[in-house]
Amino acid sequence: MTITRILGWLAAIGLIAGLAAGFGYAPREAIQGNVQRIMYLHVPSVLTSYLAFGLVLIGSIAYLATRRAGWDRLAGAAGELGVLFTGLTIVTGSIWGKPTWGTWWTWDARLTSTAVLFCVYVGYLLLRSLIEDPDARGRYAAVVGVLGAVNIPIVHFSVKWWRALHQPSTILGPEPSPIDPAIGLALFVNWIAFTLLFVYFLSRRMEIARREEQM
Amino acid sequence: MPANWGYVIAAYGIAAVALFGYWRHLARRARAVAARPAAKGRRA
Repeated sequence: MTITRILGWLAAIGLIAGLAAGFGYAPREAIQGNVQRIMYLHVPSVLTSYLAFGLVLIGSIAYLATRRAGWDRLAGAAGELGVLFTGLTIVTGSIWGKPTWGTWWTWDARLTSTAVLFCVYVGYLLLRSLIEDPDARGRYAAVVGVLGAVNIPIVHFSVKWWRALHQPSTILGPEPSPIDPAIGLALFVNWIAFTLLFVYFLSRRMEIARREEQM
Repeated sequence: MPANWGYVIAAYGIAAVALFGYWRHLARRARAVAARPAAKGRRA
Protein backbone atom coordinates (compact mmCIF):
# COMPACT_ATOMS: atom_id res chain seq x y z
CA MET A 1 0.00 0.00 0.00
CA THR A 2 1.46 3.37 -1.03
CA ILE A 3 1.74 6.36 1.32
CA THR A 4 -0.89 8.19 -0.74
CA ARG A 5 -3.38 5.31 -0.26
CA ILE A 6 -2.66 5.24 3.48
CA LEU A 7 -3.25 9.00 3.60
CA GLY A 8 -6.54 8.50 1.77
CA TRP A 9 -7.76 5.93 4.28
CA LEU A 10 -6.58 8.08 7.21
CA ALA A 11 -8.47 11.05 5.74
CA ALA A 12 -11.63 8.94 5.30
CA ILE A 13 -11.40 7.69 8.91
CA GLY A 14 -10.72 11.25 10.05
CA LEU A 15 -13.78 12.60 8.24
CA ILE A 16 -16.01 9.91 9.78
CA ALA A 17 -14.53 10.71 13.22
CA GLY A 18 -15.12 14.40 12.49
CA LEU A 19 -18.78 13.80 11.68
CA ALA A 20 -19.16 11.70 14.86
CA ALA A 21 -17.47 14.43 16.92
CA GLY A 22 -19.45 17.25 15.34
CA PHE A 23 -22.88 15.61 15.51
CA GLY A 24 -22.50 13.09 18.35
CA TYR A 25 -19.94 14.35 20.83
CA ALA A 26 -20.16 18.15 20.61
CA PRO A 27 -23.18 19.65 22.38
CA ARG A 28 -25.85 21.81 20.76
CA GLU A 29 -24.61 25.37 21.02
CA ALA A 30 -26.68 27.39 23.51
CA ILE A 31 -27.35 30.51 21.41
CA GLN A 32 -27.10 29.47 17.74
CA GLY A 33 -28.42 25.93 18.12
CA ASN A 34 -27.60 23.24 15.57
CA VAL A 35 -26.59 25.65 12.84
CA GLN A 36 -23.32 26.23 14.73
CA ARG A 37 -22.33 22.70 13.62
CA ILE A 38 -21.49 24.26 10.23
CA MET A 39 -18.40 25.59 12.04
CA TYR A 40 -16.88 22.06 11.87
CA LEU A 41 -16.80 22.47 8.09
CA HIS A 42 -16.27 26.20 7.76
CA VAL A 43 -13.26 26.69 10.06
CA PRO A 44 -11.28 23.59 8.90
CA SER A 45 -11.93 24.70 5.30
CA VAL A 46 -10.44 28.15 5.85
CA LEU A 47 -7.47 26.76 7.81
CA THR A 48 -6.82 24.29 4.98
CA SER A 49 -6.97 27.09 2.42
CA TYR A 50 -4.39 29.07 4.45
CA LEU A 51 -2.16 25.98 4.40
CA ALA A 52 -2.69 25.57 0.64
CA PHE A 53 -1.88 29.19 -0.22
CA GLY A 54 1.09 29.10 2.16
CA LEU A 55 2.41 26.16 0.12
CA VAL A 56 1.76 28.09 -3.11
CA LEU A 57 3.99 30.84 -1.68
CA ILE A 58 6.73 28.39 -0.65
CA GLY A 59 6.57 26.51 -3.98
CA SER A 60 6.61 29.78 -5.95
CA ILE A 61 9.62 31.26 -4.14
CA ALA A 62 11.49 27.95 -4.37
CA TYR A 63 10.71 27.65 -8.09
CA LEU A 64 11.95 31.18 -8.80
CA ALA A 65 15.14 30.39 -6.87
CA THR A 66 15.88 26.91 -8.22
CA ARG A 67 13.77 26.45 -11.43
CA ARG A 68 13.09 22.86 -10.34
CA ALA A 69 9.78 21.59 -11.78
CA GLY A 70 8.81 19.86 -8.54
CA TRP A 71 8.33 23.22 -6.79
CA ASP A 72 6.06 24.42 -9.59
CA ARG A 73 4.02 21.20 -9.32
CA LEU A 74 3.66 21.80 -5.58
CA ALA A 75 2.52 25.40 -6.13
CA GLY A 76 0.07 24.44 -8.89
CA ALA A 77 -1.47 21.55 -6.96
CA ALA A 78 -1.73 23.58 -3.76
CA GLY A 79 -3.31 26.49 -5.67
CA GLU A 80 -6.01 24.22 -7.09
CA LEU A 81 -6.79 22.85 -3.63
CA GLY A 82 -6.71 26.32 -2.10
CA VAL A 83 -9.43 27.42 -4.52
CA LEU A 84 -11.49 24.31 -3.67
CA PHE A 85 -11.26 24.89 0.10
CA THR A 86 -11.75 28.67 -0.17
CA GLY A 87 -14.87 28.02 -2.26
CA LEU A 88 -16.11 25.68 0.47
CA THR A 89 -15.33 28.34 3.09
CA ILE A 90 -17.38 30.95 1.23
CA VAL A 91 -20.35 28.63 0.56
CA THR A 92 -20.53 27.17 4.08
CA GLY A 93 -20.06 30.65 5.58
CA SER A 94 -22.88 32.00 3.43
CA ILE A 95 -25.20 29.17 4.51
CA TRP A 96 -24.24 29.78 8.16
CA GLY A 97 -24.75 33.54 7.71
CA LYS A 98 -28.37 33.32 6.57
CA PRO A 99 -29.90 32.03 9.85
CA THR A 100 -27.44 33.91 12.12
CA TRP A 101 -26.99 37.27 10.36
CA GLY A 102 -30.20 37.21 8.32
CA THR A 103 -28.38 37.44 4.98
CA TRP A 104 -26.53 35.11 2.62
CA TRP A 105 -23.88 37.74 1.85
CA THR A 106 -22.73 41.15 3.02
CA TRP A 107 -19.74 43.24 1.94
CA ASP A 108 -18.08 42.80 5.30
CA ALA A 109 -14.26 43.06 5.42
CA ARG A 110 -13.69 39.35 6.09
CA LEU A 111 -16.15 38.18 3.44
CA THR A 112 -14.92 40.65 0.83
CA SER A 113 -11.23 39.90 1.41
CA THR A 114 -11.97 36.15 1.22
CA ALA A 115 -13.82 36.66 -2.07
CA VAL A 116 -10.83 38.64 -3.39
CA LEU A 117 -8.49 35.82 -2.26
CA PHE A 118 -10.69 33.31 -4.12
CA CYS A 119 -10.69 35.42 -7.31
CA VAL A 120 -6.90 35.97 -7.21
CA TYR A 121 -6.23 32.21 -7.08
CA VAL A 122 -8.87 31.43 -9.72
CA GLY A 123 -6.87 33.88 -11.85
CA TYR A 124 -3.67 32.05 -10.85
CA LEU A 125 -5.16 28.76 -12.12
CA LEU A 126 -6.40 30.43 -15.32
CA LEU A 127 -2.93 31.84 -15.96
CA ARG A 128 -1.41 28.39 -15.49
CA SER A 129 -3.86 26.87 -17.94
CA LEU A 130 -3.17 29.52 -20.60
CA ILE A 131 0.64 29.19 -20.83
CA GLU A 132 1.98 26.11 -22.63
CA ASP A 133 5.72 26.54 -22.05
CA PRO A 134 6.47 24.91 -18.66
CA ASP A 135 9.24 27.34 -17.66
CA ALA A 136 7.29 30.49 -18.62
CA ARG A 137 4.20 29.07 -16.88
CA GLY A 138 6.23 28.35 -13.75
CA ARG A 139 7.78 31.84 -13.68
CA TYR A 140 4.63 33.87 -14.33
CA ALA A 141 2.55 31.71 -11.99
CA ALA A 142 5.20 31.98 -9.28
CA VAL A 143 5.05 35.79 -9.41
CA VAL A 144 1.24 35.71 -9.05
CA GLY A 145 1.59 33.05 -6.31
CA VAL A 146 3.93 35.31 -4.32
CA LEU A 147 1.82 38.47 -4.83
CA GLY A 148 -1.41 36.60 -4.07
CA ALA A 149 -0.09 35.49 -0.69
CA VAL A 150 -0.26 39.13 0.47
CA ASN A 151 -4.00 38.51 0.72
CA ILE A 152 -3.71 35.79 3.39
CA PRO A 153 -2.84 38.10 6.33
CA ILE A 154 -5.38 40.63 5.01
CA VAL A 155 -8.12 37.97 5.22
CA HIS A 156 -7.02 36.77 8.64
CA PHE A 157 -6.59 40.19 10.26
CA SER A 158 -9.47 41.92 8.42
CA VAL A 159 -11.74 41.40 11.46
CA LYS A 160 -9.20 43.28 13.60
CA TRP A 161 -8.27 46.02 11.14
CA TRP A 162 -11.81 46.96 10.09
CA ARG A 163 -15.19 47.01 11.79
CA ALA A 164 -16.75 43.74 10.64
CA LEU A 165 -19.94 41.75 11.05
CA HIS A 166 -17.86 38.57 11.06
CA GLN A 167 -16.74 37.55 14.54
CA PRO A 168 -13.05 37.98 15.50
CA SER A 169 -10.75 34.93 15.39
CA THR A 170 -11.55 32.47 18.17
CA ILE A 171 -8.60 30.29 17.24
CA LEU A 172 -5.23 31.43 15.86
CA GLY A 173 -5.75 34.58 17.92
CA PRO A 174 -3.48 36.06 20.61
CA GLU A 175 -5.89 35.34 23.47
CA PRO A 176 -6.76 31.84 24.79
CA SER A 177 -9.72 30.40 22.85
CA PRO A 178 -13.09 30.91 24.59
CA ILE A 179 -14.54 27.80 22.89
CA ASP A 180 -16.15 25.11 25.07
CA PRO A 181 -13.68 22.14 25.36
CA ALA A 182 -16.12 19.65 23.72
CA ILE A 183 -16.75 22.00 20.80
CA GLY A 184 -13.00 22.72 20.60
CA LEU A 185 -12.21 18.99 20.46
CA ALA A 186 -14.76 18.40 17.67
CA LEU A 187 -13.25 21.32 15.76
CA PHE A 188 -9.74 19.91 16.27
CA VAL A 189 -10.75 16.44 14.99
CA ASN A 190 -12.32 17.99 11.87
CA TRP A 191 -9.27 20.20 11.32
CA ILE A 192 -6.98 17.13 11.44
CA ALA A 193 -9.33 15.29 9.04
CA PHE A 194 -9.34 18.19 6.56
CA THR A 195 -5.53 18.48 6.77
CA LEU A 196 -5.17 14.74 6.04
CA LEU A 197 -7.60 15.06 3.14
CA PHE A 198 -5.65 18.04 1.82
CA VAL A 199 -2.32 16.17 1.98
CA TYR A 200 -3.93 13.15 0.25
CA PHE A 201 -5.38 15.31 -2.55
CA LEU A 202 -2.09 17.22 -2.87
CA SER A 203 -0.08 14.02 -3.17
CA ARG A 204 -2.40 12.60 -5.86
CA ARG A 205 -2.57 15.89 -7.79
CA MET A 206 1.23 16.28 -7.80
CA GLU A 207 1.70 12.70 -8.97
CA ILE A 208 -0.76 13.25 -11.86
CA ALA A 209 1.06 16.48 -12.82
CA ARG A 210 4.42 14.68 -12.72
CA ARG A 211 3.18 11.91 -15.01
CA GLU A 212 1.56 14.40 -17.39
CA GLU A 213 4.88 16.25 -17.71
CA GLN A 214 6.67 13.03 -18.65
CA MET A 215 4.41 12.51 -21.69
CA MET B 1 -33.41 29.57 18.04
CA PRO B 2 -35.11 27.13 15.63
CA ALA B 3 -33.37 23.83 14.84
CA ASN B 4 -32.19 25.04 11.41
CA TRP B 5 -31.25 21.52 10.35
CA GLY B 6 -31.95 22.47 6.72
CA TYR B 7 -28.98 24.84 6.66
CA VAL B 8 -26.73 22.26 8.32
CA ILE B 9 -27.74 19.55 5.82
CA ALA B 10 -27.25 21.97 2.91
CA ALA B 11 -23.74 22.93 4.07
CA TYR B 12 -22.63 19.33 4.67
CA GLY B 13 -24.30 18.16 1.45
CA ILE B 14 -22.56 20.77 -0.70
CA ALA B 15 -19.21 20.02 0.98
CA ALA B 16 -19.67 16.27 0.38
CA VAL B 17 -20.53 16.83 -3.29
CA ALA B 18 -17.54 19.19 -3.79
CA LEU B 19 -14.98 16.95 -2.06
CA PHE B 20 -16.28 13.71 -3.58
CA GLY B 21 -16.46 15.43 -6.98
CA TYR B 22 -12.83 16.54 -6.72
CA TRP B 23 -11.80 13.01 -5.69
CA ARG B 24 -13.64 11.58 -8.74
CA HIS B 25 -12.00 14.23 -10.97
CA LEU B 26 -8.54 13.17 -9.73
CA ALA B 27 -9.36 9.48 -10.20
CA ARG B 28 -10.56 10.10 -13.79
CA ARG B 29 -7.47 12.16 -14.60
CA ALA B 30 -5.15 9.52 -13.12
CA ARG B 31 -6.85 6.83 -15.23
CA ALA B 32 -6.49 9.01 -18.35
CA VAL B 33 -2.77 9.52 -17.66
CA ALA B 34 -2.26 5.82 -17.07
CA ALA B 35 -4.06 4.93 -20.31
CA ARG B 36 -2.18 7.35 -22.57
CA PRO B 37 1.11 5.44 -23.10
CA ALA B 38 -0.90 2.26 -23.81
CA ALA B 39 -2.88 4.10 -26.50
CA LYS B 40 0.36 5.32 -28.11
CA GLY B 41 1.69 1.77 -28.03
CA ARG B 42 -1.38 0.43 -29.81
CA ARG B 43 -1.03 3.02 -32.56
CA ALA B 44 2.62 2.08 -33.05
